[in-house]
Amino acid sequence: MKIVSTSLFFCLMVAALATGIAQQPAGPDPAWVAPAKEAARRNPLAGRPELAAGGQKVFNRGCAVCHGDEAHRAATKAHDLGSAAVQAQSDGALFWKITNGNARKGMPSWSSTPEPQRWQLVLYIRSLGKTADGGR
Amino acid sequence: MRTLASLLTLLLALSALAGAQEKPYFVTYDHTMEETGNLEISWQNTIGLQQQGLPTFYAPFGEFEYGWSGWWTSELYVEGATQAHDSTIFTGWRLENRFKPLNGEHRVNPILYLEYERVSEGSRSNVEVVGHSQPDATSLHDLHGVKSHELEGKLILSSNARGWNISENFILEKNLTEDEGVEFGYALGVYRPLSMIASGSNCRLCRENFTAGMELYGGLGSTQGFGFRDTAHYLAPVLAWRVGKDSTLKLSPGFGLTSNSARMLLRVAYTYEVEGFGAKVKKLFGGRP
Repeated sequence: MKIVSTSLFFCLMVAALATGIAQQPAGPDPAWVAPAKEAARRNPLAGRPELAAGGQKVFNRGCAVCHGDEAHRAATKAHDLGSAAVQAQSDGALFWKITNGNARKGMPSWSSTPEPQRWQLVLYIRSLGKTADGGR
Repeated sequence: MRTLASLLTLLLALSALAGAQEKPYFVTYDHTMEETGNLEISWQNTIGLQQQGLPTFYAPFGEFEYGWSGWWTSELYVEGATQAHDSTIFTGWRLENRFKPLNGEHRVNPILYLEYERVSEGSRSNVEVVGHSQPDATSLHDLHGVKSHELEGKLILSSNARGWNISENFILEKNLTEDEGVEFGYALGVYRPLSMIASGSNCRLCRENFTAGMELYGGLGSTQGFGFRDTAHYLAPVLAWRVGKDSTLKLSPGFGLTSNSARMLLRVAYTYEVEGFGAKVKKLFGGRP
């Protein structure tokens, strides 16, 4: 019995290491698109730009580790959130992506973050686009 | 007093250095996976006040949780126990893996859980309550050598709606050392942050940093006798306080509901998230982060 359990343990450890080291491939995922109904949602906090500061705090707490401290200066493989490709997406699409994540690419689901805070994140991401465009 | 003050100062200093999605549960699992490449280190403590005449126990355990990918998280536990007027022993270790089979967020999110345990009968951590239970009257000294290999599986179902998390865990455990049949257990939990909006200030005591909820968990017998007879059950309010960017304090007084339960399980935990741990290790060995 001891041999069986010890073998089982080592099999689990080896499997964990092998798959863990492999990780998931980096880069964009063309299949990761918000459904049209979700993409059409409007940000209920759009008229309250002052709440973007709270979004920045949530961002620094959870997102900055991959997207970089100032998001669009990311030195990691994660998306540059100030880029035109990200900023071209609707508020609803960004909200859907934050909520659902993309496990295949290592983006976690942030559904346990309260919904208003996820909309605050969208507000903050929008402000990154303005910064990248020189305030336009 | 001075030691306590020093510890608190150290805790706050650490928290300032160190965002994880930290749940307030001690026993119940929700569908939150560890962020890829992050390592969560947790120090959890359980103080058990038993039924009249039985010794109080203290069971600390360390937990190391690593996110391999968006769909796979592993955790290693090491645990010990001390009982009043008795021994202090190392009670064993556990290795668990959680798998998220479905991508994205759903109304009900399933997670598959598989754990291997090498623990002694003296384990008092109560990280899961399964099968039949009896009050812990035996000396830890006598139980130290009684070790078992166990396999445990859980089906975790979890939902997030309107700021609330609702989770249900169904547990199966098989002792590979002794023929106890397959033991069953459950854990149910619900929690909610105290504030839904994040303020712009870096406050420590504002409501958004607190999450509160309730857990209900217990055993459901085994294949040798399914049901509530001779089982332990606990109702436990839970509170989590995010004291810093990456650190959380958790507290839970669990109240025993049956004569086979301890009167109270008082739990306290401190959790610290090491962001980008995997990348740092890779860099250390000359790999690309």
